[in-house]
This record gives sequence, C-alpha cells and structure tokens, in this order.
Amino acid sequence: MTGNDRPGLALRLRWQVFLRSLTLQASWNGQRMQNLGLLATMLPWLSQQSRNLNRDRLFCRRYYEFFNTNPYLSNYLIGGLIRLEDDQAAGRPTGLSATVFRDSLGRAFASLGDQLFWLGLQPTVAMGACLLAIVGWTQGVVVVVAGFALLQFVLRWVSLGRGYALGLDLVDLLADERWHRWIRISRRTAAGTIGLVSGALLARLGSNELVGGHVLPWIGLIVGWALPALLRRRLPGEGLLLLASLLAVVLAFAI
Amino acid sequence: MLQPGVLSTLMPALAWAGEASWPSLLLLGLLAGLLALDDTALAQTWFSQPLPAGVVTGWFCGDPYSGLVLGLLIQMIKAGDLPVGQSFVGDGTIPVVAGTGAVVLGGYQIGLPWTDAIRETLALTGWSVLGVGLLGAFGHWLIQVERRAHVLWMLEGHLTLRDGLLGRIERLHFRCLATTFLRGLIFGILYLLILLRFWLPAFDRLPDRGVEAAAMLPLLLPGLGIGTLVDRFAGRRSWGWMIAGAAAAFGLARWVL
Repeated sequence: MTGNDRPGLALRLRWQVFLRSLTLQASWNGQRMQNLGLLATMLPWLSQQSRNLNRDRLFCRRYYEFFNTNPYLSNYLIGGLIRLEDDQAAGRPTGLSATVFRDSLGRAFASLGDQLFWLGLQPTVAMGACLLAIVGWTQGVVVVVAGFALLQFVLRWVSLGRGYALGLDLVDLLADERWHRWIRISRRTAAGTIGLVSGALLARLGSNELVGGHVLPWIGLIVGWALPALLRRRLPGEGLLLLASLLAVVLAFAI
Repeated sequence: MLQPGVLSTLMPALAWAGEASWPSLLLLGLLAGLLALDDTALAQTWFSQPLPAGVVTGWFCGDPYSGLVLGLLIQMIKAGDLPVGQSFVGDGTIPVVAGTGAVVLGGYQIGLPWTDAIRETLALTGWSVLGVGLLGAFGHWLIQVERRAHVLWMLEGHLTLRDGLLGRIERLHFRCLATTFLRGLIFGILYLLILLRFWLPAFDRLPDRGVEAAAMLPLLLPGLGIGTLVDRFAGRRSWGWMIAGAAAAFGLARWVL
C-alpha cells in the first residue's frame, strides 16, 4: 500500500507494462484498432499468475475486442484494468466487468486526449518548433521536441501508477474540471503560436526581393484558408503541395 | 561550410565528394526505420514529425540547415494533418529523411525564401520539396497496406483465444513493429536513391517556366499551411489569440529587422 492507503503497482510489473504500453499503436488495424497492442501490454500481468488455460483464454478474449483510446492517456486505463484484474483474482468484488470499464473509459480518454494532444499540444509544439526554425535556431527545434518527449514519458509512467491506485475511481478523475481547463489553455496556446508563426513568416517573406515575393505568401494564405470551405473538406498536406505546384505553374506563365 | 556530422565521422569516405556509399545509405535507412517506428508504432515522441526528422537527419549528415529547410516547409504544409489512427494521412517522415540525405549527399544547396537564397537555390528547394511530397503520397499508400497486413495478423491471433498460447500474441505484435521498422529502412534507402539518382539531377533539365514555378513553391507553401491551420482553429475564442500572436510577431520582426 502507498502512503495514502492506495495500493501500488509492483515496480517490476510497472516497468514491463510501461515499456509495452509505448507500443500500444504498433499493431493498429482498421478492424479492432489497438486490441492486439492492449493485449500485448497486459500480458506481463497474466504471466505473473499461475497458468490456467481456461482463465488465460478468457483473459485474452476480454482484451481482444475492439479497443481504441489516446496513446498518451492510455496508461490511466491500463493501470485501472490491471487493478481490476488484481481485485478479481483476489476475489474482491468489483461490481463492474473489465469490458464495460475498458469501453466506457477508453472512449472518454480518447476524446480528452485527442482534444488535449492532437488539437492543442501537437500544433503548439509543431508551430513552436517552426517559429524557432524560422529564426534559425536549429538546436531549439530539438530542445522543444525533446521537452515534449520527456513530458509524455513522465505522464505515461505517472498515469500508469495513478490508474492502478485509483482503479474504479478513475471515473472521478474523468469528471475533474481541470481536464477542460487544460484543453482550453492548450487550444488557445496553439492559436497564439499559429499567430506568432504567421506574423513572423509574413514579416520575413514580405522582405523577399524575388518576383512575387511580396504577394505569393498572401496568395498561399488566402487559398489555404478558403479551400476547405470551397471543397467542403480539408486536403491532406500532400494534396495541398500538389495544388500549390499547379498554382505555381499557372502563376509562372501568368507573371 | 558543412560541419562534419555523425555520418561523416563514421564514414569519412562519403558524401562531400558527392558520392553516396552503401554504408551511408544503410545508416540513413536505419535512421528512417527508427523514425518510422516513432511515427506510427513506438512512443510517438514527435521526433518523427517532418521538421525534427529533417533537423536530426541533417545533423546526422553534417548539414542541419538543409534538413531544417526541407523539414520546415513540409512541416508547414502538413501542420493541419492529424497523425491519429484512422485519419493518418501521408508519410512526412521517411521521405524527409531521404530528401535531406539526398540533398546533403548529393552536395546540393537549398535555402529558405527569407534568407539571401538566389532564385536557382529557391527553385531547387521547391523541386526537392515536391519530390519529398510525392514520395509522401506514395508512403500513405504503403502505410495503408501495412495496416491491412495488421488486420490479417490480428485475425491470426484468434487462435490464442482457443489454445491459450500467449507467445503467439507477443510474436504477432513484434512482427508488426518489425514490419514498420523494415518499411522505414527499405523505403528510406529506396527513396534516397530515387531522389539522388533521378529526381534531383532532373532539375537541370527543367524548362525556364518550370524553374520559375519551382522557385515560387517555397513562397506559397508556408502561407498555404498557415491558412489551413487558421481554418482549423478559427473560432470565436481563437481569433483574438491568433491576431494578437500575429501582430506581436510581425511587429517584433519588423522592429528587429
């Protein structure tokens, strides 16, 4: 038991699960998404139990169903699932099946994580690195990304232990108002960083002496902004690049 | 002046004479394999994002600036892409490693529009970015093929639900990891050879209008990427932050310049 009377995950098992959890997405597939990754992550727990063929098959069946969540927050849920398995193995009543727990919390963490990481932190880090690249600080790019990498490793390690300690009480963690505050802050930071990059780019590109140097960045900006509304969909990066190439050929003949 | 990097320290006989040797290709392939793992399979530290991948590859080859140029332009254009499960689009990692390697090993000069880059340098930059982008589109198809293979291997794992053989699950999962690494290794080398032997030398045969168009690409791409991001983040509460950021950076840049 830990200092605040919550059970703790054994260090050896915690390391084994943590390292495997980093590969949760490795076997991502269109049918059941992270199911193979989840089962591979949970296997160290099963390996510590005495072999029981029927129980092992049921364990695999439980974790081989559809599963998808955000990889950066997944360890809360994985810790919680190990706690649930521990409780059930010890004969303590849990009142909830692992399948229901996994599905409901997996969806909630997926939603929170996608908003926080993919729509908040990812653009912030990417644009922050771009800003440093624009001012020519090459090492700064590596420092920013290394900072994020370290942060996510710490988060994954801490959340695994916290998920185990909380068990079914993870539901209360999800209800915490701070998630939404962090999402708001991260999205505003992303918006501010996008603004910083666009201001720096337009200022620097505007001083270009080449033909079209003053106009082309603005054409790009307007096309990039208006295109999704015109096409009613967002083009992927490679699609935008091909479109820009066509536009450049047209402009090369026009100018 | 290029500073000797890891690659040139390990393989003194390569690169600066404009020759790509097999050991250097293999080392860059290994780097592409590791970054491909980071992109979709292992840890997802974001070192596989185009900009850091370019800088790391450039540092590896001894010319971080070339990696920064290619990586920054591809990062800007792909900034609106979400590398999430099903919505994963394109490959911004392996082609950037290959592109940076090809530019440095081939002894080409690329530059950013706001530096003192001349028209030909900008045109070669645009041409390199286009090559990397086309390979990225092909890479998207490769990733989809790999994921179809994952479905087959995942279905093979159903046997364990019957016979309880846990080792099979571990082997299947490891096979997926190994496949991703091999995709990076093999296609990293293949892309590098395509860019080095065919794509970059073809620049000399471009007609004048083609060179003109290629020189415009580095000027168009950053705006296009920012425009896409503005569209994604535009909202009542975001506008103020974006405008404040843009005004601060624009004013500061003008004042400093």
